[in-house]
Amino acid sequence: MRDRPSGFFNPWFQLVLSVACVLASELLLKRGASDTANPANAWSWTGISGLASPLVWWAIGLIIISFLSWLYVLRYIPLTIAFPMSRVVDVLVPLGCWIFLGEVISARRWVGIALVIIGLAVLAKPVAHFEERL
Amino acid sequence: MTFFSLTLILIALITFVAGQLFLKKAMEFASRSSFRNPGFMWLLSAGICSMAISFFLTLGLLQHFDLSYLYPFQGLSIIFISLLAAIVLKEKLTLQLTIGALLISAGVALVSLS
Repeated sequence: MRDRPSGFFNPWFQLVLSVACVLASELLLKRGASDTANPANAWSWTGISGLASPLVWWAIGLIIISFLSWLYVLRYIPLTIAFPMSRVVDVLVPLGCWIFLGEVISARRWVGIALVIIGLAVLAKPVAHFEERL
Repeated sequence: MTFFSLTLILIALITFVAGQLFLKKAMEFASRSSFRNPGFMWLLSAGICSMAISFFLTLGLLQHFDLSYLYPFQGLSIIFISLLAAIVLKEKLTLQLTIGALLISAGVALVSLS
């Protein structure tokens, strides 16, 4: 195994960065789409009218950053570990909607969030084992 | 729910999973040689094309179905990617990784169902 870069180029940091960018982009897209929503317009279904919102452009930038850091993650971390961990974003998005956008989380959703967190805790041991080998 | 739409959902899922495997393979290739290697460029393009097909199929499906109906299938992608990474990329799939992946899949499905 090659030396693992530290600091900004640490693959685990890049995984967190990738997930954080996806989370922020989803919230920005929702805000931007709501700001520019005009269902009367015939072109509204294409989503192109959303480009009028600067928030949507910030979101596009974040999506590009998250893709690049994901490619970097793939270089160092096995897919069997990195991909399940990256899906934590499916839990963070509803939590972000709850905190920042004032949306409601149902009981079933809370159970799902709990399951994902338990799953991540189970992954922690293989991750520690993988770190030892790195 | 027709046989046709189920097929489309499956193709969207398979192309997404294949895209991730192509990207992983491309980055493995790049770490062994250089980024200007034709093999790397081919795998990267295959990954991006595959994910683009998945993206547009999903967009089309979203015009016919609710997100809460389509998104639980996303949970399946975790299981498929873990299995195929073990088979195709020869990654080690331990019992703990399997249990973790199954729990996260179930959680993602539950979160998106409501």
